[in-house]
Amino acid sequence: MTRSGVDLEVRELTIEYTSGGYVVRPIQGLGLEAARGEIVLLLGASGCGKTTLLSVLAAILTPTAGRVRFDDIDVTGLRGATLTRYRRHTVGVVFQAFNLVPSLTARENVQVPMGTAGLSGRPARQRAESLLAEVGLATRARHRPGDLSGGEQQRVAIARALANDPPLVLADESTAHLDYIQVDGVLRLLRQIADAGRLVVVATHDDRMLPLADRVVNLTPRRDTESRPPETVTLDDGDLLFDQGDTGELVYVVDRGAIDIVRRQGDGSEELLTTVVEGGYFGELAPTFGLRRSATARAAASSTVTGYTVRDFRDRVRPGTLADAVTDQGL
Amino acid sequence: MWLVTLRDLQWRRWRVLIGVVAAGLVFAITLLLTGMSSSFHNEVGRTVGAFRADGWLVPGRTSGPFTSVRAFPESVVDDVARGEGVREASPVVITASTVDVSGVTSVNVIGVESGVIDADVVDGRGVRRSGEVVADGSLGAHLGDRFELGDGRIEVVGTVDGLTYFAGTPTLFVSVGDAQALTSAGQPVATAAVVRGELASPPRGFKVLTNAEVEADLARPLRKATQTIDFMKVLLWLVAAGIVGSMVYLSVLERTRDFAVLKATGAANRALLGGLVLQAVVLAGAASLVAEVLALALGPALAMRAEISGFTLVTLPLVAVAVSLLASAVGLRRTVSTDPALAFS
Repeated sequence: MTRSGVDLEVRELTIEYTSGGYVVRPIQGLGLEAARGEIVLLLGASGCGKTTLLSVLAAILTPTAGRVRFDDIDVTGLRGATLTRYRRHTVGVVFQAFNLVPSLTARENVQVPMGTAGLSGRPARQRAESLLAEVGLATRARHRPGDLSGGEQQRVAIARALANDPPLVLADESTAHLDYIQVDGVLRLLRQIADAGRLVVVATHDDRMLPLADRVVNLTPRRDTESRPPETVTLDDGDLLFDQGDTGELVYVVDRGAIDIVRRQGDGSEELLTTVVEGGYFGELAPTFGLRRSATARAAASSTVTGYTVRDFRDRVRPGTLADAVTDQGL
Repeated sequence: MWLVTLRDLQWRRWRVLIGVVAAGLVFAITLLLTGMSSSFHNEVGRTVGAFRADGWLVPGRTSGPFTSVRAFPESVVDDVARGEGVREASPVVITASTVDVSGVTSVNVIGVESGVIDADVVDGRGVRRSGEVVADGSLGAHLGDRFELGDGRIEVVGTVDGLTYFAGTPTLFVSVGDAQALTSAGQPVATAAVVRGELASPPRGFKVLTNAEVEADLARPLRKATQTIDFMKVLLWLVAAGIVGSMVYLSVLERTRDFAVLKATGAANRALLGGLVLQAVVLAGAASLVAEVLALALGPALAMRAEISGFTLVTLPLVAVAVSLLASAVGLRRTVSTDPALAFS
């Protein structure tokens, strides 16, 4: 354990990538600290960046900005042999769809990461069998994944993640595809893994796992359901109101001037989606559904806009249903 | 990683089996074609070598004794035999005909003096007198068999092996007199003379060819056939390599997620590539083995002789592995470029 009992430290992490030709920024300015022995829950809806964050912690994805440190390892700066060593010895991953190699038996699936780390032969076999026994699959070691239930496959995946005794274990949607009995077994295993002195980071959208967590990171942007005074913003020509990928709390009405709504493309160019003029409104989808802004709003001329919470917008400006918001152009 | 590769081969055993048999068949055809091509080359050397000549006397305007037959008086041979530096000169009468031995068969007929090809007789004896024939084994005739040649009837007194030319056409060695009866109504002519020793200067209107020149001339009629076979061999190599390469590529496509997971858990690219290389080597090696068994089994059943050398049998697996690895390069490249992030998708 390092500074003040912090083993994992995430600072100002921003992840941006191109998908479908445009830029997506699922995580912006994230901070996180955790220690061994803890279970950290990354909670959020699909597409909010849980798996992306796990990929960064596993040193598979390089973030756009910020840094990740585990123990004394600067995870975001790993390259070459140190990167391979980190993946082999420091981190173990339980993938969402188990991702076991179908041609290998349960024991062989657990053995493979040991082989890449230099442990082979009888010692590797014995350790694999021991790990499978720990997850309650001693009698299923010779079965292939296709012959195992979802819960059993998940436990093999957990045993594989522990193959090289890593201090950091990442689990992606580890209760997806499982029935409640299987979920019970997996939760117990995760707790045991953490209690053995490992840091376990679990990405899930399943809030039933909340009681298991020592820390919870909610990656879904906050939805502001309370009423608060409208915010009036004055913009000069070209001023940015919000950027694509920002969290969004307000719906904006144009009082004066015009606002360009543009989408940033993967090649750096921008596509003009529409220009909202005086009396028009924009930006209601992000605060309504807890999404990030899907486009950038920039003043096309000297303008004034007023921002409302979703509730105020509906009460005061445009009474209507949720479906209206979806069918209207919204961001 | 070897374990992953071997288990994957077991896992896809039916596909592997079909691929190995298909590639093995193609390799087998390649081997047989190689054997036939070798046979065309070797038969020429064996036939010319059977005469143990130091030189071949032929009329000046002919390109060789076997390909452009032109008769001349046999007495010329006697003159040559008396020439300075010549130890021996014997007339040869070369022609082509057909015989009916279990069906009409084209044959090369060569009239030789007694003792000329005796060293090559594998069964029986050489020709001593008129009415006798030494036949190549490919004719299918046995000692004591009789059949008609021209207006006469001849008896097989000996057999030779591999003395054919013009793509496996069997050769019949008869007496000079029987050959003259067949070609020139018994006139004392020859179409060439086998010279032993060194003829200082050939008679006017004649030239002396070396064995190498005679072989080159005899091989010429089959040059296009040999070139075509060589071209077909290249195509077949490509087909076989394509089969192995596509199997490896298909395996890579299906295992992309496996590779991503292995990379995400710390497997190095070279380990993954090693596994795929092993897979290509196993496939190509197994296909080569199947090919060799098939070729050796099917070769004797071919109407034409296929001479597959030990060197070819040793070389085939090595070349097959090399070609298959080249064909697998696309799959290998794709493996290297597999993004470990796919494991999370």
